[in-house]
Parts: sequence; structure tokens; C-alpha cells
Amino acid sequence: MDKLRKVILDVSGFLLVSLVLLLSGCGGGQSKTLYIFNWTYYTPDSVIQKFEKEYGVKVVYDTFASNEEMFAKLKAGGANYDITFPSGDYVSIMIKENMLEKIDKSKLKNFANIDPKVLEQCDFDPGNQYSIPYYLGAAGVAVNKTKVASYEKSWSIFARKDLANRMIMLDDMREVMGDALKYLGYSVNTVDQKQIDEARDLINKVWKPNLLKFDAEAFAKSFAAGEVWVAQGYAESIFAEVDKANWNTVDFFIPKEGGPSYLDSMVILKGSKNKDLALKFIDFIQRPDIYAEFCDYFGFPSTVNVPARALKKGESWYRPEDLLNCELKKDVGADLEKYNAAWQTIRVGK
Amino acid sequence: MKKHTGLLYTMPQILWLLVFFAAPLCIIIAYSFLRKGLYGGVEPQLSLDAYTAMANPNILLVTWRTLKISIIATALTLLIALPCGYSIARSKNQAIRLFLVIVPFWTNFLVRIYAWIAILGNEGFLNDILKALHLTSTGVQFLYNQTAVILVLVYMYLPYAILPLFSTIDKFDFTLLDAARDLGATKFQSYVRVLLPNIKSGLVTAGLFTFVPIFGAYAVPLLVGGKDSYMLGNIIADQLTKTRNWPLASSISMTVTVLTTGLVFLIALRKPREQKQVFDADPLLLQPVQAGKR
Amino acid sequence: MIHTHKKPSALRIALLWKTRRMLRRGGAAAKKFMPARSSLSNVIYWVVIAFLFLPLFVLLFYSFNAGRQTTWQGFSTVWYQKLVMESPELWHAFFNSITIALGSALMATAIGTLAAVGTARYSFKLKNFVSTMSFVPMILPEIVVGVSLLIFFAGVGLRLGLVTVWIAHTTFNLPFVYLLVSARLEESDPSIVEAGRDLGANESQILFRIILPMALPGILSAFLTAVTLSLEDFVITFFVTGPGGTTLPLYIYSMIRFGVSPVINSLSAVMVAGTVLLVYPMRNFLKVFAAH
Repeated sequence: MDKLRKVILDVSGFLLVSLVLLLSGCGGGQSKTLYIFNWTYYTPDSVIQKFEKEYGVKVVYDTFASNEEMFAKLKAGGANYDITFPSGDYVSIMIKENMLEKIDKSKLKNFANIDPKVLEQCDFDPGNQYSIPYYLGAAGVAVNKTKVASYEKSWSIFARKDLANRMIMLDDMREVMGDALKYLGYSVNTVDQKQIDEARDLINKVWKPNLLKFDAEAFAKSFAAGEVWVAQGYAESIFAEVDKANWNTVDFFIPKEGGPSYLDSMVILKGSKNKDLALKFIDFIQRPDIYAEFCDYFGFPSTVNVPARALKKGESWYRPEDLLNCELKKDVGADLEKYNAAWQTIRVGK
Repeated sequence: MKKHTGLLYTMPQILWLLVFFAAPLCIIIAYSFLRKGLYGGVEPQLSLDAYTAMANPNILLVTWRTLKISIIATALTLLIALPCGYSIARSKNQAIRLFLVIVPFWTNFLVRIYAWIAILGNEGFLNDILKALHLTSTGVQFLYNQTAVILVLVYMYLPYAILPLFSTIDKFDFTLLDAARDLGATKFQSYVRVLLPNIKSGLVTAGLFTFVPIFGAYAVPLLVGGKDSYMLGNIIADQLTKTRNWPLASSISMTVTVLTTGLVFLIALRKPREQKQVFDADPLLLQPVQAGKR
Repeated sequence: MIHTHKKPSALRIALLWKTRRMLRRGGAAAKKFMPARSSLSNVIYWVVIAFLFLPLFVLLFYSFNAGRQTTWQGFSTVWYQKLVMESPELWHAFFNSITIALGSALMATAIGTLAAVGTARYSFKLKNFVSTMSFVPMILPEIVVGVSLLIFFAGVGLRLGLVTVWIAHTTFNLPFVYLLVSARLEESDPSIVEAGRDLGANESQILFRIILPMALPGILSAFLTAVTLSLEDFVITFFVTGPGGTTLPLYIYSMIRFGVSPVINSLSAVMVAGTVLLVYPMRNFLKVFAAH
């Protein structure tokens, strides 16, 4: 058994040494490194590489899957990122929680490229002292045209009993509640208990019986596989999963009643050691050619950057005008509890 | 010297858990007694809100559902894992067989769940086969219900039950089975009366390894569950991420922890008695086997 | 009931013991030539293996699909090309995962095995407390462990990164290792250790030559479990990781919004094939504990 002992010791020794080497290798930070915390691929690799090349710096790009996770993580501190990409409601929360650096807009040559109509909507950060818009969009509805012949471009599609168990909605409280509120003619940010109850009953009694499930993780896959014919969700997810050859069978629309829209912004985090570099990155993103490249990568309309609209080569899944009836989700503060109670009833009940 | 050897062996683990587990645990306990912060975190203000909020009928319903799913899934897992562990223990090449059990689990769980969706879906492999055999024309809805959740949970936690069962069965003296049969027990009786009592610690460990994670399951009910598959793990995660109610998440977790720890403690306290029983296997075997049963 | 049959029982106990002793003397030899008569359990084993591998075959199948959708679009190796040529971030995450998995499994196996030996072989004051408290990290929901560790690391000023991930993974692996090795040691014969001691073995000889070899199947199971748990973990890792510390599950999970790329299918296929190729040449070495 001495042999065995030696083998165990050798193997563990080797592993320990390699571990130490790897860990120390990763610890060595250069001063010219920009730490970005973002949704996966939300900034295409090609854009990141161009930035690295032009400015001779290194970018470390880490990812999160939801605003809430990003916030929970950054709130506790300890993660030293320079830039992150929260949605509007989280920008206001992060400002209140004193987590953001002020942005010196005079250093942003390309700030002028941003659509003033978008800036108007930034009432979560009046005057854009802390945040620069990145992308304005909304979830919509994707329909498999080979299976569903006629339909109205409205949220009422989820009330159709003939499509029961062939439809899916996001497992996202604010999104689905917002759709119902908009359908009923209310604001997506209402704090009126009666309106919230009405929306809850609409979802619970009229929509939910026809839904296969609520899903924010695999809805696009289910749609692409033909499992569901109608999916509420993000265009970019749907078209990422559906093969190009079948794109013509998919209709993506933002319902005429509108719904909650989101405005993701770029912010610089308190404690950033590379504020100048972070500003350069933000400015770089708003450069028309770069912004067009970003939009083309996802099939986004150029909702934020005006000159980029002319430079875009690819098609878009929806037009900036489609968002006219949409309303930005805002932080509702303590009234979030009302939404939570309604959503729990929807999700938990049979 | 000898008196302290045991403590010495245990010291690294005690220290590690004290620093990296007990300290964070104290934070959670403290959080559960504080008022929730508007944007996550807590306000430095004592409150029992988090505990009174637990009496919510929704949470009770979900707890009951979670308990039901966990018990069924654990029982199924153990039932399947037991013969597997036995087969590995009796095999000539144990290590290879062990690896075969564990290797599928080195690919990402999300990817494996997607694979299950591709197998069980309405347009999936299984339905394709059924359609080709003309057993169904419209496809069978396998996914998005509690049965699918249980199936995938059993799949996910099988290895964690097989491994402890293998390592205790491996130590079992198989000649005892022959002895029992020589003494007139049937094959089945010899397994139930002789093997099972001797591998109790393995069974308990396997049960814990499956029940505990399944009870906190989060991703599986979300991905393959339907409208009726929300589990306690989802509620806790929602409190932390969606509604930013950290105290409520803490209080639910604390309650679960205290209850489960109490259960484990009871099992641990019973242990000394069990060990004595090991050798007299089971009273039934020692009785003359009833004529009718043979 | 039992009382009425007391006499025959005693006789049977004696018989049982005698048979057992006799057969035991045969030892390993007896075990070896005994035919594996448990054909049913073997059948179940292979059915279970098929069940466990089923999703992997699906992945393998799709990894050669020309399209990315879950319907067959023709044979292609495009995803393998992308895996090799265009996925530096993915490989970075992959190596982070492997490092953390091996590192944390090793640490947890070392600490946990020692503790299991301590509680199984010796008695001391805090023994019951230690063994019960070692389970608790298993019980807490992952997300709670993740958030509390994050708050803790931030509080003590530890920089988030691979080191904090390693600490967190070691922590959640510990109870599994401890329980697995304990279960193995629990019912083994204490007289062997006594015999060793009587023959003049010192503490380290007893540990390395008697106890550890005896616990080896348990230790191997523990190590494998720890590696697996670490490779799987998403929730805790998300909270305790820092800049540059993205692991494979994090990478894959955060792809969800824009679709999980089939490159992951090809990576999975490569990983399984790689593991099998690594393990197969070692099969003779791995037989080591079937023989003792």
C-alpha cells in the first residue's frame, strides 16, 4: 500500500501546484483592463475586439442573466467592475443606493447621436447624469405562421382556447403583469390595487388556462422546436434559436396595445479604477458604425442611435415606431409587494 | 495524546466550517429577524415580519407540494440506486462502473435538461417514435407537469444515491447472503433481512444526498415543470432576486434548516441502537419461515 | 412473536455466525470466485446507465446537426469548428471550471476524510455535535449560501474571484465528502485497527496503511461526487465569483437570453469522450481496490 500512498501524494501535490499557479496567474491585474459586467453577448465579441485593438487595452467581460441577479451581486460589494448595463428601473435604484459614478457628458463626443425622444424617456435619471442609453426595446409575441393561420396582433391572442397548451409566456412578473395592465388600458407602473387585481384575474383566469407554462429560460427553444406556436418573449432570443431557413415562417410583433418596454443603460460603478477608459467605451458604443454593427448582430432596430439607422445593413425584427404604445418599466418602490402577491397567486396556484 | 487524536483529525473541517459556513450562517439568522430593505438587504430594525409572512397559504401549499415531490422522487431514486450500487460493488471492475455512473454528470445540467426536453417534448424523439408506431397521432404531453419534474429529478440525483450505496455495500460481507439462504430464507428475504440492515448508514446517506437537494430544487421545476410545479426553492429564489425580500428568504431557509437538522439529529441519536441490530439481522429471518410463504 | 421462537433463534444465530466466520476466512479469494449471480441487479445497472447516457446521445446527435434548431438539418461539423476556432471565452470558462472542480474536490476530500476518520475511529467530547453540524451546509438552499457567502466575503474584504469560488465550492463539498467517507468507515471492523496498533504500528502507519486503504472506495466516491457537484454549480458560483472568474455553468446559463449555442453540445461530446479516453488507460490502476 506504500505505492498507493505515493500515488495519492504525487497526484495531490501536482494538483495543488497547478491550482496555485492558475490562481496566481489569474490574479495579476493590469491597470489597462476594463471590467465589464453585462448580459452574455449583449455586446458582440467583434465590438469588444475592435475596442481592445483601437485603444490597446484588455477587456474582461463577465455575464449575468437578469437585472435582479446583477443588482444582488453588486449590492453586496466586493466585485470591482467598471461598467454594467442595468435597465431603467434598476438605474434609479442604483442611483438611490449610491452605487453609480456621475458621468462627464462633455467627454462623450457621440452623446449627440442619441435620439432626443429616447432621452426624454429617461426620467429615471433626469439629464442623464449617471446613465447613457444602450438599447430601447420590448418583448413581443412570436407566432408560428405555419400553424396559426389568422390572428389579431393583440395580447388577446392568449385568450384563444383553440391554441390551448400551444402558447407560452415569460416567467417574469413585471413583463406579464405589464402586458395584462396595458391590455386593460392601465399603466404598466400602476400601484392601484384594483387595477393590479384586475390584471391578475385576467392572467389567472383567461390567459393561464391556455398556456403551456411560464418560462423565461427555454421559451425560444420550445418555439423553435415547434413545441409551442405562440410565444411571448424577446425577438433576439426567438430568432437566435430558429434556423435562418425558417425565419419566414415566424411573425414577430409588438401587440397594438403596447406593453412594458425596457431601456438598458450603460453606467459606471462607484469605485471604478478605470473611469476614463469606461467613458471611452461608452462613447465608442455610441459611434454610429459601432452601434449599427451591434444592432445588425441581433436584428435590433436602431432605437437609440439616430445616425446608425442609415448605416444598418441587416433587417430588424421590429421598427422603432412599434414601441409607440409601450411604456417604460419603472421602479414602483414598496408597492412591488402588490405585484409580488398577485404574481405568487398566479404562479403557485394550480 | 490519544485522547485528542480524534479532535485533531476533525480540526481542519471544524475550522473551515466555522469560518466559511458558521459565519455566513449567522448573517442569515440575523437577517431573518430584521426588516427588509426596499431594494434588497435589510434595515437595522428588529422585526418578526419574515416569520409571520411565512403563514401565507401560498407558501404552505408550495411546501406541501415540495414535500410530496421530494418524497416520491427520493423513494424512486433509492429504489433504482440500490440494485445499481449492489451491482457495482459485486463487479470486478468497480472503478470503471463508478465512472460510467458519474461521467454523464460532467456535462452541464442545463444542457442535459435541454436534452430531456428534446426527448420528451411534443415534437421530441419519444413522440416521434410513438407516432411512427401509430400509437398516437397528436403526441403525448410528457413534459411540463409534476411527473416530468419527478422523472428529471430522479435522473439528476441518481448518482448521488448510487455512490454512497456502492461504498457501503462494497464493505458488506456477501457470504452472509449465502448463509441466510442456507438457513432457509428466500433470495428476496435474504436481501431485505440481511443486506438492508447492514447498509443502513449507506441508505441514510443516499437518502440525505437526494432528499435534501431535491427539496431545494430550483432549476428543474422551472424548466420541465408546468403551471403546477412551483417549488419551495423557487419561492426562496424569488424572494432574493425578484422581490428583494432577503429576510423572508432567510426565515424560510432557517425553518427548513432547523427542521431538517432536527431530523438528522434524531437519526444520529438513534444510531448506537441500530448498530447493535446489525448482527442479529432481523427477527423475522430467525423465525422458522412460514410454510405458506415458501 | 419473537419470544415464542427464542430457542430456535439462538441456534440459528450460532449457525449464522459460524458460517460467516468460515466464509470470512476464505476472504478475498472467496469473494472473487463467487459468480456474480445477481443478474437482475446487473440488468438494472445497465438500464440505468442507458438512462443516464440517453441525454448525452441526444447531445451527440445534435452536435452534428447543421442547424441550431432541434430538428435535423443535415450532417455538419460546423459546431466543432466553432468550438475549436471561435470560442476563446468558452474555453476560458471551461478551464476555470476544471481548475475549481479539481481544486475544491481535492481540498474537501482531504479535510472531510480526516474528519470522517476522526469521528469514526475516536471518541471525544464534541463528536456528536461535529458530525451533525457537518451536514448543515447541505441543507441550506444554494442561493442562500451564495448570498450569505457573498456578504461575508465583502465584509472581510476578500477580493472576489477564483479564490472565493474555490472556498465556496470546498465548503459545499465538505458535507458530501464527510458523509460518504463516514458511511464507509462506520461499520467496518474496529478490531483491524486494534490489531495494527498491537503489532506496533504508529499513528501515521495506521492512517495510511489501514484506515485510508479501507476507506478508499468511499474516498473515491467522495472525490467524484465533489468534482461533479463543483462542475454543476451555478447559483453559489454566480454570487461569489468576481472579474474574470466565469465558470462554464455561468457562461452557459447567461447565454439563455440569446439562445444556448450548439457549440455547448459539441463541447459536451468532447468532454465525455475525453473523460472516457483518460479513464480507459487507467482501468488497471483503478482495479486496485477491487482486489484488496
